Parts: sequence; structure tokens; C-alpha cells
Amino acid sequence: MMNKTPSTPAKIELGHVTHLYLSSNRAFMAVKDINLRVEEGEFICLVGPSGCGKTTLLSLIAGLEQPTSGKILIDGNRVTGTSSQVGYMLQQDYLFNWRSIEDNVFLGLEIKGIRNKETEEYALHLLDEMELIDVRKSSPTQLSGGMRQRVALVRTLACQPQILLLDEPFSALDYHTKLKLEDLVFTTLRRHKKTAILVTHDLSESIALGDRVLIFSRNPGQVRTELTIPAPIRHALPFEARNQEGFSDLFQYVWKEMEVLSDAAKGD
Amino acid sequence: MQPKEIEAVHQRYLKKEGRTRSLVFITQILLFLVFIGLWEVLSRTNLINSLIFSYPSKIVALLWAQLADGSLLPHVGMTVWETVVGFVLGTLIGTLIATVIWWSPFLSRVLEPYLVIANSMPKVALGPVFIVLFGPGLVSVIAMGLAISVIITTINIYTSFREVNPNFVKVVQTLGGNKRQIFTSVILPATIPTILATLKVNVGLSWVGVIVGEFLVSQIGLGYLIIYGFQVFNFTLVMMSLAIIALVATLMYQGVAYLERRLTSQFK
Repeated sequence: MMNKTPSTPAKIELGHVTHLYLSSNRAFMAVKDINLRVEEGEFICLVGPSGCGKTTLLSLIAGLEQPTSGKILIDGNRVTGTSSQVGYMLQQDYLFNWRSIEDNVFLGLEIKGIRNKETEEYALHLLDEMELIDVRKSSPTQLSGGMRQRVALVRTLACQPQILLLDEPFSALDYHTKLKLEDLVFTTLRRHKKTAILVTHDLSESIALGDRVLIFSRNPGQVRTELTIPAPIRHALPFEARNQEGFSDLFQYVWKEMEVLSDAAKGD
Repeated sequence: MQPKEIEAVHQRYLKKEGRTRSLVFITQILLFLVFIGLWEVLSRTNLINSLIFSYPSKIVALLWAQLADGSLLPHVGMTVWETVVGFVLGTLIGTLIATVIWWSPFLSRVLEPYLVIANSMPKVALGPVFIVLFGPGLVSVIAMGLAISVIITTINIYTSFREVNPNFVKVVQTLGGNKRQIFTSVILPATIPTILATLKVNVGLSWVGVIVGEFLVSQIGLGYLIIYGFQVFNFTLVMMSLAIIALVATLMYQGVAYLERRLTSQFK
């Protein structure tokens, strides 16, 4: 944990957050009594079996849904709806095929009504950073999966959010692309000093990228274990972090935790 | 393989493709000529009733005579005009209703059974009502063309609105988009291919509506010519009208298909 006085509001704070999904035949508790403090610039990873409410948590923080009970604060202010402070990246790129790459990137600016020369230039600068400036006039269908996901990242970053919610953004990519994109996202977020929460299935990814890893159990979704990643691994690029001393011990530890959870799930 | 060899293989493939294409075309033409020839011969030798089926040379002669004295074109013009108006109105109004229903989930639940009933009802049965309401003329015929296409348009387009991948909607939501922005930046552009495909179906439906409408009321138009030919037992006139309808309806269908290709090229 970072040494900050508790009086200053955290970047993101969740207090006793519980969320129910209601349908005509049942009320399903997706997450139960989640407490979480994320400081500015932190990178948090959420792992856990599927159906443990990780994506629900992101939707709640993004303001897409309101928690059934509990509170969610960003900079000390209650979240009541989507905000331009929070950017969201989905599992797939979901680029709009009927728009060119640059028009896809400008989408957020258009929706927020802030599309002008200056913001466009910033977006194009980001596109350039991701080595995509040459394809700005292309159609998304002409791009590879990795390129498309990079465009999606630029689309999210173009609105200059301070917080990034990443919902398994690497899981649909092939392994090689995934490793390269992890490094790129990691350095980009560090450089732009963003706070990030990443949901992933990949345990080694969570250790390589995160400052802290939260392991969730399911039915209902709860935080089971919290793991702080030691500095050498935390500061290394994700690709190099995997070769750092102590990485495999951490992996073994998380792996065992997950095993316990899946054994418990079998007993259901 | 050398580039030259690859080129040669490709050329061979193209030649083969070209041959198949011309063979298909020649067969199509032959089939048509055989059909016309058989019709002519069978009718002239009285193997089929020439009074009912007439024969091609007589139909062409009548067509020529009517074109020459200028009595045909007003009929064709009127029917085409009615069809185009009914078709455009049916599409516009259907899309509009679909939009309203999409906007309000409550309204869509309320209207669902009524749409099902309206769709399963044979719309031509409304003919007498239209004649009384709008008088025996142009408006009644257009109303018929509209009635027959508008409900199915509404249902098809509303269904396609609902089938838009919710993750595209989520992208816009996370960027802070409101309902109107969701509609204009995702729902509508994503469903343009479906709307255009519906348009193709509507061309056919509008023809049905307009011809039936003309059967019932009008003093002009191809539907009127068919009924008139039937009443005076001039089946050459009936067959000629049918041939013109087949030709014009095909042209109109091809026009819409061309429009569809042009407008949806960027979706592929």
C-alpha cells in the first residue's frame, strides 16, 4: 500500500458494495460487500473464476449500473452515471466497421461534444504513439486483431480519462500479440499516469502487470485474497517481469489460491 | 513458384471462370427463347387455348401499337409512380415506427401483440375501407401499397435494431453517450444493411399492393389494364400488362439492389 494519509480521498473507493441481478425467476447476487481503495496511479488486477462478478464490478465503477447497496466514490464523489474521467476497454475491440480508423478514434470526442482541432490532434498523436498513424484512413476490416485492439485503446485514451477499466482486453489475441500489447499498455498507462483496474483470466498476466492482485471467489463474488506485488516485478515491463526472481513463486501462490476456489466450486 | 507461373495459373483460373459465366448466360437466354418459341408454336397450333394464353408475337404487336399511339405510357407511369410512393412511404413510416418502439421498451411490450395481429391479417382485405376513406383513386391505391409493406417493415427493422451487438452499445455508453447518440452512432448505421435488404422485399410487396389497389378502384394503371382486359376478354392485353410489370418490377428491384451494394460496401 502507498503511504497516503487516509483523510485524502482515494482515486477510487468502494464501500460495502453489493449488487443483485434481478429477473423474473431469481435474484442473483453478483458481488457481495466489496471494499476497495485504489490510489492514484495504481494498477489493480482482478482475477477469479468466471462468474465471480469481476465484470460487474467494472460496470459499477464505470457508472453503467448502480450498485444495489453500498457506495462507489471517485475522487471522493459518488458515481451516479458514466463520467469522462473513466475509460472502459472491452474484451474485443468493437470498432465500427462503417467508420475509418480515425473516425473510430474520434468517436468519444464526438459523443462528448469536444471534437475540435486540439482534441483531434491529441488523438492522432496517440495513434502515432501506437504506430497506427499510417492506417488512419483505413477501414477496421483491413487491420489485424492486435492493431484493432490498439485502436480501441486509443479510442478510450483520446477522451483523456484518468481511470482505465480493462475488461480482459488481451484475451482474444494470439499469445505473441498479447505479450507485446501488454508491454505497450503498461508503458502507456505509466507514462500518462493513469489509474487502472484490469480484469483477467490469465494469472501470470495479473502478476506481471499489477501493483496489487485481488483474487475473487464466486457465488457471491467476494475478495478472497489480496496480494501486493514486490517492487522489482512491479516496475519491470510485463514481458521482463515474467523472468524476474520470485515471479514463479507468486504464480504458484496465486495458482494454489485459484485451485482452492475451483475445488470449492465443485462442491456446490 | 515463379511470379510468371503464378500469373499463368491465375490467368487460367480467370479464363475458366469467364467460360462458366458465359455458359450460364447463354443457357439463360436459350431457356427464355425456348419458352417464348414453345408458347408461340403451341398457341398457334391450338395445343393450348390461344384465347386465354394469347401468343408472344401478338403480345409484342399489341405492345408496339399501344406504344406508338401513346396510350400505354400513362398506365405504366401511373403504376410506377404509385409503387414508388407506396414503397418509399412504407419504408420511411416503418422505420419511424420501429425507431419509436426501440426508444420506449414499455411501448414495444404494449404494442407487440398488436403488431403480430396486424402482420398476420391480409391487408388487401382493407381495400373497401380505403376506397370509402380516400375515394376511388390514386390515394386509395397508394394506401394499399403502403398498408401491405409498412407492418412487415416495422417488424423487420425493429428486430434488426434489437439484434445489434450490445457491446457496440456499451462502447458508446462508456464514452458517455445518451440514448439519442446510441441510436445515431450505433443502432442506425449498424442496421443500414438490414434496412436496405428490407427495401428489396418492400419493392415486391408494394407492387402487390398497388396492383390489387388498381384492380379495385382505378381508371388507369397496369392493374386497371389487366382487369379491363379480363372484362372484355382480351387476354393479349392481360399478358402484355403482366410482361410490363415483370420488366419494370425487375428494373426497380435491380435499382434497389444497386443502391444496397453502393451503400453497404463499407460494411464488408
